Amino acid sequence: MLRVRFHGRGGQGAKVASRVLGTAAFLEGYYAQDFPLYGAERRGAPIAAFTRISKEPVLERGVIAEPDIVIVMDETLLSDPLSSPLAGVREGCVVFINTTHSREEVRAKYKITAQVITLDITKISLDILGRPVLSALAGGVAARLSGLKEDSLSKGVEKETSEIITDRSVIEKNIEAAVHCYNAVESHPHPAPLPSRGTEVPEGEGRKTTVITVPFEPAITSSPAINTTGSTPMRKTGNWRLFRPVWDYEKCTKCMTCVARCPDGCIALNEDGFPYTDYENCKGCMICAEECPVKAITAEREVHSW
Amino acid sequence: MKKEMLTGNSAAAWGVRLAEVDYIPAFPITPQTEIIESLSRWICDGEMDARFVTVDSEHSMITAAGAASATGVRVFTATSSQGLLYGFEMLYTVAGWRVPLVMVNVSRGVSAPITLEADHNDILAARDSGFLQIHCENCQEVLDSVLMAYRLAEDERILLPVFVNMDGFQLSFTREPVEIPEIEDVRRFLPQYQPKHAIFKASQPMAQGIAVLGGPVYSYFKYQMHLANRKGLDVYKEVSKEFERVFGRRYDAVEGYMTDDAEYLLIMTNSFSTLGKAAVKRARESGIKAGLLRLRLIRPFPDDDIKNALKGRKAVSVIDQNISVGKGGILYSEIAGVLYNEKDRPLLLSFIGGLGGKNISPGEFDFIFDSMSKAADTGEVPAPQLLYTEAEWKEMERLKKIAGKM
Repeated sequence: MLRVRFHGRGGQGAKVASRVLGTAAFLEGYYAQDFPLYGAERRGAPIAAFTRISKEPVLERGVIAEPDIVIVMDETLLSDPLSSPLAGVREGCVVFINTTHSREEVRAKYKITAQVITLDITKISLDILGRPVLSALAGGVAARLSGLKEDSLSKGVEKETSEIITDRSVIEKNIEAAVHCYNAVESHPHPAPLPSRGTEVPEGEGRKTTVITVPFEPAITSSPAINTTGSTPMRKTGNWRLFRPVWDYEKCTKCMTCVARCPDGCIALNEDGFPYTDYENCKGCMICAEECPVKAITAEREVHSW
Repeated sequence: MKKEMLTGNSAAAWGVRLAEVDYIPAFPITPQTEIIESLSRWICDGEMDARFVTVDSEHSMITAAGAASATGVRVFTATSSQGLLYGFEMLYTVAGWRVPLVMVNVSRGVSAPITLEADHNDILAARDSGFLQIHCENCQEVLDSVLMAYRLAEDERILLPVFVNMDGFQLSFTREPVEIPEIEDVRRFLPQYQPKHAIFKASQPMAQGIAVLGGPVYSYFKYQMHLANRKGLDVYKEVSKEFERVFGRRYDAVEGYMTDDAEYLLIMTNSFSTLGKAAVKRARESGIKAGLLRLRLIRPFPDDDIKNALKGRKAVSVIDQNISVGKGGILYSEIAGVLYNEKDRPLLLSFIGGLGGKNISPGEFDFIFDSMSKAADTGEVPAPQLLYTEAEWKEMERLKKIAGKM
């Protein structure tokens, strides 16, 4: 069985990528299973999706803790502890990262011992589709690394995008982009062949678990109430952001409309009375830019910088 | 016949479409919504000829479903967890009306604390309502069970509503290859619903769902519901045989997996049974004579099938993905009740696992097999055990600390 795990942000296309791969494998005659995992849905939040491909019926469900292939569609997730795309990665795994950097740079930066493959699929997406929607492209990369045929990939992209896109030309472009990525990855050394490990269950953490007897605890402890204050700041929401608001103080009139309109209370005033936002928590909703009467706020695309 | 990658939710919707249902009252709730979204799209696109009505709540939804069914049309509806509980009063009511509607429940842990993933406290809360209950392990089974459910419900010996249950997320959002049957085959198996007992004609007035005052009359009707539900055991056998004849897939009320020579059995339900089967395969590889019994029909409860399947085993572990707070595993109690008067009965161990969708890892299954083997050696049955790992406890300790709990 081959286990593939996709990491992306809500809206990037990780779920559809896992479906493109699942359908491609299914059309090629394998048993396939795919499954997305997200909590309370929102754009920009880290999500994961899973595809299992096997010659035998799949006797697994849910999350893949020990993947053979990891597809990281958004590089910023590598430093996000809530996403942990490298969890369960061992020697012999293949980690694909969507980045402008080389694989040597990425391996060194994130201390990855497994095989790393990189490609800037966001750029390919912008070039071919004109938008950073990565589902078909990540599906193309995964199909290549899983050893599936190009034809199965094309059919998989066609089937999955037809469910959500009505414009035929956009479907064609998605197929083109997926096939482009499929072949771009080919030039990398050592693509993983399909069915790597035959065992139904990974030999890892799962088998070393200790089952404990949960003790009684009094209600003051065991009721679902939070007794402390100030825990909310521990949950940084800035990583949901696709765009960041940037102020032009030349234009800003200090009217404070943005301060009043920010739904998360992220915007404060500096010593000179100019507004600034708390980028650790600003979700990038861009209501401030929408509301600014003098258009002093612009939306800049979030790019991971080292 | 075509095979496609479908989620559990899509498979349910396909079952409803193929059953050529007439009326669908609907109200959305995660993780069920995809079912009614698919149906409303098909009806909108003219691919399905049915009336789709959105209502203000699950209480109204179940009432509308029951009332429509009483007029003699084929009715479907679906919900999950909180929605099921919100409509709870009407479950008993429509079952008492003896209307053969089919309802899918997508299991999700019940609040509070609120959660999204599956356990079976929602559907098992409805176990005394009069509905028959079919619990599914995979997406194919969901589609097939919807078709079987109408045959059961509409059988004149039964005339009770039927639940088809699947796990939220683990099945509702998981895609697997599913065979979509041909409509001609479905029509052969499930002809149009033409009841003789339910009439909606001005020229032929009748009263349904009448009031009764007084215990003897009430007792009669209530006990007849029970007998009709129990009659479901026989009717189920006929229906599943007929289903196998038409579609080639076999669904027994209780499924045995590697049980033939098994000394140690797991008893599970729903999608986590897949994990149990994998555990049984691994246990077999390490020389343990393991097997798994999956309960598919839970109402009526298949007492005799369970009795027969457990005869001569050394030890049996019931894994309840539910908890009757103040008692323990619901199915454990029911199975213990089945076994009490048997002379040759196995040791019966109780485990609670997978609450709120918590994974049951291979290590936890190893623990269950170890516990069974120890119990068989000593003759002593351990206390009921929650499946909970040290790592999960450590994480809970960390969270409690943040919450100022210690």
